[in-house]
Amino acid sequence: MQRRRILKLIAGVAVSVLSGGVARAARVVANFRFVRPPGALPEHEFTSACIGCGLCAQVCPNRAINYFSPGAGKKANTPYIVPRTKACILCMKCGAACPTGALKKITRNAESIVQNVKMGHARVDKTLCLSYQGKTCGVCYRACPLQDRALKVGMLEQPEVLGECVGCGICERSCIQIPQAIKVIPTHLATA
Amino acid sequence: MTVIPLQKKLNYLRWVALATVFSMLLLIPFLYLYQTFVAAHAYDYLSSYEKLVYKFGEFVSSPFTSDPKEALDALKGTTWIGRLFGLDLADPLAAVANTAASKRFYWPLWTMALIPIGLTLVFGRFFCGWLCPATFIYELNDNMGAWLRKLGVPVSRRRLNRSMKYFVLAVGIAWSVLMGVTVFSWIYPPLLIGRELNYAITLGGFGAGMVFFVLTLLFDLLVARRGFCRYLCPGGALYSLLGHFRLLRVQRKAEICNDCAKCNAVCQFGLSPLTDRFTQECNNCTACIQVCPTDALSFALRIQDQPYQGPGHLGRHYARHRHDGEVPEDGKTAQLAASTGSGRI
Repeated sequence: MQRRRILKLIAGVAVSVLSGGVARAARVVANFRFVRPPGALPEHEFTSACIGCGLCAQVCPNRAINYFSPGAGKKANTPYIVPRTKACILCMKCGAACPTGALKKITRNAESIVQNVKMGHARVDKTLCLSYQGKTCGVCYRACPLQDRALKVGMLEQPEVLGECVGCGICERSCIQIPQAIKVIPTHLATA
Repeated sequence: MTVIPLQKKLNYLRWVALATVFSMLLLIPFLYLYQTFVAAHAYDYLSSYEKLVYKFGEFVSSPFTSDPKEALDALKGTTWIGRLFGLDLADPLAAVANTAASKRFYWPLWTMALIPIGLTLVFGRFFCGWLCPATFIYELNDNMGAWLRKLGVPVSRRRLNRSMKYFVLAVGIAWSVLMGVTVFSWIYPPLLIGRELNYAITLGGFGAGMVFFVLTLLFDLLVARRGFCRYLCPGGALYSLLGHFRLLRVQRKAEICNDCAKCNAVCQFGLSPLTDRFTQECNNCTACIQVCPTDALSFALRIQDQPYQGPGHLGRHYARHRHDGEVPEDGKTAQLAASTGSGRI
């Protein structure tokens, strides 16, 4: 009798603790806008190639990379970047560290980055952008690591995204307007 | 006594190894934080806790390197995939799982797994006993189970079917192939430990993998002793298969064995050194070598276990059987010895 009661107690505690954890895991579903780290394979290949080792985040000097929890299904334990929280600084260390080739190894120079990195593409919302509203801003252009290749500014610092934008998200990170007038549209959303 | 005294001490060395691996898994995320602080030139903007981390990182790394931002990249990862002083290593299960899930042969990963595979071919399932960070917790959990048992709290010691873990491995691989997902990364305890510690330290909080790990701890405590490792762990299954013809294995010398069965009692994997049945499951943890009162157990270079050698020649059962002149049936003597022997725990 004693034994049964103790077992019941332990089982009860275990179930309550676990259900809390499971609920938390289930809540964190991938319903927010994220980009994959630079050099990622196409989305379905990426989720199958990634083994969830966590190395890419451990070498990221900007602490930009985070991971999905098991509630995210196929995406579980795979890395993502939310540009507004922390943007990629295109250092290319994650690709060098990735042991499975889910992130390609890319040398760190502008040519190779422009050719190989396709995290997403920035888009300017002209109804929100301060420069288009007559208040000269240009912060995104100043922040862009690929100035005049990915982003150029015209009259009154009005930004215009060019074809070579790699979607690093530093413009979105730096935009002083709330909500952000320039946002990265992730590649996996654009192609889907 | 033909046994080298060193072999009796190996179990202590094993605990040192386990503790070292575990503390490395704690150290590496903190060193990573230190790296990011250095990279950001951010000391003045850190919180008091982060300043503590910075000073700790400086204290640990400054004797070895003057450029922590780059040099500390030589120490990364977990036991799943890790870089140990510049040497890339991978768990063989990682290579298998990746090949199954992505359906392509990515050879750099297999070269990383080459050294662990080679060591496993020689030392068998040694990862499970000597390196696995989950084993560190599981053994402490098992000791706690022994304490609870002493205090009268019921701790179950069920025996299940060992081949379940090969089934888990097979199903995991099949699932990976079908769904294109590395399912082992959800349930493999050493990976969970490494990753969850990393999450907790660098990303601010445990992930849901910790829930599963706690579940396995409860399973070990309430259902079967070291149950997950024995019956369910897919990595243990793979290591067991690789270590089937391992070169180095614990063997019994029947001449000086006294059938006390302490080895059977101390074996966390529930094997039977007393009847020479180490099998591919043995993880060379050396606990039985340490506990043997007559030094009858020691390492030997063989690619197969000796067949059952009969009862120990120092035991009273052996003497009786000698008078009768009959050969005991396999296992029967062992049960007798286990029931009368003074096995601990």
